[in-house]
Amino acid sequence: MKKAIGDNMIPKEWGFEKGLELVKQAGFDGIELWLGDVPWFQPSTADGDVRELRRKIADAGLVVSNVSTGLHWASPLSARDPTVRARAMRIVERQIETAALLGTDAILVVAGLVTEEVPYNEVYQRCVDALGALGETAARAGVRIGCENCNAEHRFLMSPREFSQFLNDVKRPAVGIHLDVGNIHDTGFAEQWIEILGTRITRIHVKDVMKHRGRCGDQSVYTNLFLGDNNWPAIRAALTKVGYNGWLVAEMEARYRYAPDQQFHDTARALDRLISGRL
Amino acid sequence: MGVTRRGFLGCVAGSLTAGLPFDVPRRIETGPRRVLLDLREHCGLRESVAGYESALAGLGTGVTSRCTLLIVPAALDIPPPAVRAIMSRLRTGATVLLESGAGFAADRDFRAHRAVLRDQLGVHIEAPVRLWSSRGASGVPYVDYSWPASAKIRDFSRVVPLERQSEGAGEIIAWVDDLPVALRRRYGRGDLIFLGSPLGPALWAGDAEARRWLCEVVGR
Repeated sequence: MKKAIGDNMIPKEWGFEKGLELVKQAGFDGIELWLGDVPWFQPSTADGDVRELRRKIADAGLVVSNVSTGLHWASPLSARDPTVRARAMRIVERQIETAALLGTDAILVVAGLVTEEVPYNEVYQRCVDALGALGETAARAGVRIGCENCNAEHRFLMSPREFSQFLNDVKRPAVGIHLDVGNIHDTGFAEQWIEILGTRITRIHVKDVMKHRGRCGDQSVYTNLFLGDNNWPAIRAALTKVGYNGWLVAEMEARYRYAPDQQFHDTARALDRLISGRL
Repeated sequence: MGVTRRGFLGCVAGSLTAGLPFDVPRRIETGPRRVLLDLREHCGLRESVAGYESALAGLGTGVTSRCTLLIVPAALDIPPPAVRAIMSRLRTGATVLLESGAGFAADRDFRAHRAVLRDQLGVHIEAPVRLWSSRGASGVPYVDYSWPASAKIRDFSRVVPLERQSEGAGEIIAWVDDLPVALRRRYGRGDLIFLGSPLGPALWAGDAEARRWLCEVVGR
C-alpha cells in the first residue's frame, strides 16, 4: 500500500510548492488534490495549468493519488433544481478530465445529500441515474469514480450492504466506493465495510473517530490515527483479507493547533505502522 | 433521453390510438388509450417523464380508461404542435394532464410558459413560490389533493400557484397550505387537469401515494 495526504491539509500561507516539499519530507508517496478547495486547483484552472501542477508534483518526487472535491456539498448530484444538478455533473466531469491530466485513475464524489427538503428515495434514484451516465464517461477516460461514504453527514447509504446495493443499481464497473474509515462513526465497523465492499473500494480515506463525541459543540468527532475508537488491527486484517493494496489517503480533519507541519510527519509514521501491521 | 425502440413503436402506436399529429414532440404509448407527450427540450424535468413512464407501465392493462388520457410532464414553453395536440384531444373528449415544470425555470422560460397557458388554455398562474425558504419548524409542505381522490404527496420545493380563478374557470383540486396548485376544468368535451406541483419526480422515486393518485386519474 502507498500513503498520501490531501493538499487541503497544506497550511494556506505555505503555498503549493512548499507544501509539496513537506509532503515529500514527511515520507508520503503521493498527494490527493482537492478540486475547488485550494487556490491552485479550481474548476476554472486551465488544462495547461493542471499539467503544470503535475510537473511540480513529479519534481517533488510525488504522484497524484486521486482527485477529490468538496464542491458537491453545495451542488449535489441529488439536487431538485436541474441547474444545480447540471453544475454537479460538470464538476464530476472536470474531476475526470483533470484526473486524466494528472495521471491518476480515481476521483472522489459525494454522491448525494438527503435533507428535510429532498427525501431519500429521490436522492437515491437521482444518484443512480447521474452516476450511470458519469460512470460511462469515467470508463472512457480510464478513471474510477469512488463515491464516498459520508454516512451521518449526507444521511445517505448508511450501511455497507445498502452501499453495495446502490453500486449494483448503478451497474457501472467504473463506479465504486471511496471508503472513509472515520466516517462510519458509531453506525458500524470499518472492517466490515472493507470486507463487504472489497474490490469495489477505489481509495481509502484514513482518520480516527471518537465515537462517543457526536457532533455537538466545538469538539470534532475526528482525531488523529490511533487516538480514537477505530479497531486498527481489525481494519488492517480486513485490508489483507480483501487484497487491498492501493492508496491510504490521510484526511485529518482535526488539525494541530501549533506546528501544523508536525501533523504531516506524525501521520506518515502512523500510516507506516498501519501498513506494516505493527499495531 | 433518446428515442428507444419502445418509444418509437409507442410513437407510431400512439399516433394511431390518440390521433396525434406526427409533428408534435415524442409520444409514448403507455397503455390502452394512454399517451405520454415528451416535450424534450421544452420539458423542465427529465425525471418527470421517466416517472410517468414507469408508473403507467406499472399499471399495465389492469386499469382501463373510459376516455383517452394525454399526459404532458414538466412542461415549460409548450411548442405550437403540442398545443394543437392538447387542444385537439380536449375538444374530442380526452383528459389532458398538463404538469408544469416551471418551478425552477429561468424567468424567460417561465414567462413563455405562463403566456401559453393563459392564451391557449385559459389557465392563469402566478410566479413560482419557494416552499422551504421560510418554513422554519412548520413541517413538510405536502400537496393535498382532493380530486379524483384525496391524497397527500410530497412537495417538490417550488410550486407554480394558480391565480385566484374567476367564476367558472375550473375547480381547484390541490392545495399547499393556502396556495391553490392544481386545477381541473372542462375544455370542449374534455377535461384539463393542470398540476402546478410536479408529480412525476414522486412517481419516479416510487412514491406509493403519487402512484395511487395517478391510478385514480387513469381509471376515471
